[in-house]
Amino acid sequence: MKIIGLSDPQVQTSLRAAGIGMSVPEARTIAGVLGRDPTLTELFCYDAMWSEHCSYKSSRATLKEFLPTDGPNVVMGPVEDSGIVAIDDKWCVVISHESHNHPSQILPNEGAATGIGGIVRDVNCMGATVVATADPLRFGNPYGPKANKVRWVAEGVVDGIWQYGNALGVPNMGGDIVFNDSFDDNCLVNVVSIGIVRRDQIIRSRAPPLAGEKGYDVILIGKPTDSSGLGGVTFASEALREEDEETNRGAVQIPDPFLKNVLFKANDDLFRLVRESGIEIGFKDLGGGGFTCATSEMGSAGGFGMEINLDDMHTAADFPAEVLSIAETQERFLIVSPPELREKILKIYNEDWDLPNVYEGARASVVGKINTGDRFTVTHKGEMVCDVPIQHLTEGIRYNRLELPRTIRVQEPDVAEPADYNQVLLQILRSPNIASREHVYRYYDTEVMGNAVIRPGEADAGLIAPVRGEKFGIALAVDSNPFYGRISPYWGGATAVAEAMRNVAAVGAVPSTLTDCLNYGNPEKPEAFWEFREGVKGLAESCKKLYLKGYEAQQQAVPIVSGNVSFYNESPQGSVDPSPVVACVGIMKDFSKAITMDLKKAGDKLFLIGPRFDELGGSEYYRTIFGETGANVPIVRFDLERNMIYAVIDAIDEGLLAAAHDISNGGLAASVAEMALTRPARFGVELDLDCVQGGDIGMRTDKLLFSESSGFVLEAKAGSEARLEELLKSYSLEPMQIGIVTSKRRIVMSRAGECVADLDLDEARNAWTAGLVEAMR
Amino acid sequence: MKIAVLQFPGTNCEFETLVAVKAVGMEGEIFRWNRPAGELSGFDGFVIPGGFSYQDRLRAGVIASKEPVMSALKEEAGIGKPIIGICNGFQILVETGLLPGSIEKSSGNVDMALAQNVMVSQGKIVRRGYYCDWVNLRHEAPSKRCSGSFAIERGALLKIPIAHGEGNLVTTTPGLMKKLNDEGQVVFRYCDKNGRIIDEFPFNVNGSTESIAAICNEPGNVLGMMPHPERAFFAWQLPAFDPRKQRPDEPGPGRRVFESMKRYIEVNA
Repeated sequence: MKIIGLSDPQVQTSLRAAGIGMSVPEARTIAGVLGRDPTLTELFCYDAMWSEHCSYKSSRATLKEFLPTDGPNVVMGPVEDSGIVAIDDKWCVVISHESHNHPSQILPNEGAATGIGGIVRDVNCMGATVVATADPLRFGNPYGPKANKVRWVAEGVVDGIWQYGNALGVPNMGGDIVFNDSFDDNCLVNVVSIGIVRRDQIIRSRAPPLAGEKGYDVILIGKPTDSSGLGGVTFASEALREEDEETNRGAVQIPDPFLKNVLFKANDDLFRLVRESGIEIGFKDLGGGGFTCATSEMGSAGGFGMEINLDDMHTAADFPAEVLSIAETQERFLIVSPPELREKILKIYNEDWDLPNVYEGARASVVGKINTGDRFTVTHKGEMVCDVPIQHLTEGIRYNRLELPRTIRVQEPDVAEPADYNQVLLQILRSPNIASREHVYRYYDTEVMGNAVIRPGEADAGLIAPVRGEKFGIALAVDSNPFYGRISPYWGGATAVAEAMRNVAAVGAVPSTLTDCLNYGNPEKPEAFWEFREGVKGLAESCKKLYLKGYEAQQQAVPIVSGNVSFYNESPQGSVDPSPVVACVGIMKDFSKAITMDLKKAGDKLFLIGPRFDELGGSEYYRTIFGETGANVPIVRFDLERNMIYAVIDAIDEGLLAAAHDISNGGLAASVAEMALTRPARFGVELDLDCVQGGDIGMRTDKLLFSESSGFVLEAKAGSEARLEELLKSYSLEPMQIGIVTSKRRIVMSRAGECVADLDLDEARNAWTAGLVEAMR
Repeated sequence: MKIAVLQFPGTNCEFETLVAVKAVGMEGEIFRWNRPAGELSGFDGFVIPGGFSYQDRLRAGVIASKEPVMSALKEEAGIGKPIIGICNGFQILVETGLLPGSIEKSSGNVDMALAQNVMVSQGKIVRRGYYCDWVNLRHEAPSKRCSGSFAIERGALLKIPIAHGEGNLVTTTPGLMKKLNDEGQVVFRYCDKNGRIIDEFPFNVNGSTESIAAICNEPGNVLGMMPHPERAFFAWQLPAFDPRKQRPDEPGPGRRVFESMKRYIEVNA
């Protein structure tokens, strides 16, 4: 394509006409480095590799500036497709976290399904067995002006998740759903996946040492390349406009869990071959940026050059070179391996697992060679279609974006205390953001693989025991509250980390690592970039001040080992509320000690930790009862937060607790109610609010009940109360014995001798279980 | 005593099923669909595990039912070897005609179907399609009637999870339901936690005729069941509200199905 000698508008016109999203200066830089006009294929390759999605061109500097990524348990930080942390001397957890927001807004079913499909490949390609997924979902207002579209998106996304995940055979162990009008035109579909791998069996996504000298093969396996997902990364790097909907549909990939299921098993045989032969290979999934991204990154990471022949690629039809190079056809992997393994590898995929007969056109094909040069060359039909410096292609570019604080006016509402707390409580329990998630997670196969110890809905985190004969358990939880992010992007980030850590602590697991998927608007707009920077600062601050348990003395931050940045979550109607979605992995040495949140026994005493503050900004109470946002967003008091998390972990380890639940959305009242309403829902509670101490003294009853200041509600095992109080005090916490579990099926709350609420358990349960069904109907 | 756990493209429960087979003291291996079918005769029993064989294309189980290994398996069934089909395995056995086993012997007809789940409560359809939860099962057959429940007494209650979109047993074959009942071919029904059969959701979790969760063929060696016993093999796998969960060293309820299979082979050897 002609660039040299043309004017900026002329270049701009030809780039757009070809469907290339890059800027004119970017195109000129490429022409300058090549010393000639780039080919169409070269421009497409650069466009994909230099997209925001692949190159993190706006975000990389900020991430590097703030986020802690190292720690004593980190085996691999955020350098490849997934991060890896150690469980013990032998086993590791592999984790990856991504977004599939734009595709899910356009084609919810396919978008959400390929989200799962992509993330499990990221984990599998490290040599790991994928053992769980989780989906943090953000949908628009199901009762707002775009209710029909919102519900269509929500239903399609949930269908896509279960149809893919269940067929693949990986349990969905967590996730969350938040409805908020800022997501009316831009849903967020984040996906988290974890796997396990033995430390000595990790496979890297790079051409191994000597691959160039020995002329290693480049082998493409899986589905035949087609034109699906064309320009997916470029599409993910722009705001959504309704008039582009037709074009954007073509950028959504097509999922196939069936082929993936077979590929995973064939990959297991590949891993076995690698172990038995003792020869290192490189293995990588094909995701954003397609074939070009996977090949060039593998070569460049090993410090080698690479020559590719597209004529050797198995394809679904005769596509042009630029399509074969960057289409995001799903269910493909790339192997870099020595010639002596070639026949064995081809046999695994083409004969043992019979890919060509399982899926039309699928197979393993040798498509190129690694060399000791520094070029990435691609030939197609005898022509050289791409010949570029490989490092230049993969390094991408960097932008320093401007930031400018977004000015928003927030104020605390002046509202009267409600007269009927029973009604208020029922309304809150029925709210789509508080109601039971059962309607959705009954679609998810949580039982496949037989590893589930604690399932979604049973506690604040899911827990699996993934290795028979080993006692360790892996807990997984996700969090991000867009309502807090709207008021304060900084505290939105900080509270997301704190709550995700509280969630895994509430089952008894020690927070071990975090991932972040940072969902924001257009970073070219200074306000959006400011929100992003604030969010990252907040995340980092919580990581650094809550410490990795066991390494408090060194003030070791909890490491973030994987993540993703998703910008451009905006439409002409505006951008999404700042949403730094965090996933936390917790490790339990002995999974049999884990506890859930349902009340266990009448007569047990309930303890509150975490004083109540006047923090109802972004609260469920303000929003649902008064339609207000408020200003006093919950903050993280780092020392208090850390002490609470550690104390709960220790109390569960000592066997003092029968149940635990953290306090977040809906405050103390919702937390206590949820403990009573979670299956088997056999018990009621009696709370004496006079026992709530500390914090902001003399708060009104509604603020006391619905403040979203962090904390926990703990059910002590009978006879363990004294030891629990002692333990809590050793962490400088004030144990507040606020009530008891009763055999009466009522939720009763009183203050100063007067009854505040007295709610029938079944009536409450009906409201709580109906809320999400009604919102998604 | 050697068990083959069959694996089709799309099967996804073979590994935990093999764990269960081995844990009760049987030998076992995963038998890939494209292995020579004749090698099946070297095994003493068979499990067709759950999953989405051939992506549930056309109908769940129908493509796998046409595979050469299934023809070979029919012969093994004919000589009395035990076969347990779980979830998609049940669907495959139905599509093969091995279950319920035709009324007119050797006609090879497909006499029933596992249709889409339709959850009905108080006369209203409250939900359709895929559903994953723990359910209670009542063992309806006498012990020794069926291979996979050989060592389970009549009336025993088992808590086991289900996870499927098509487990709603339906038939239009005249007299079939009566025959299944009369011949003791109904092996498990969905029930409440006290063992009462309540023919509506959530107790009858998928709308299945007469709350049927599992049936066997007339001789009793072939069992098909929608619930997954391999996922309830250890007590720690039980849901949080089951008191047995706190006794993690105890066996789970699903173990009894695999123990039964072993016992059946021992007795019939």
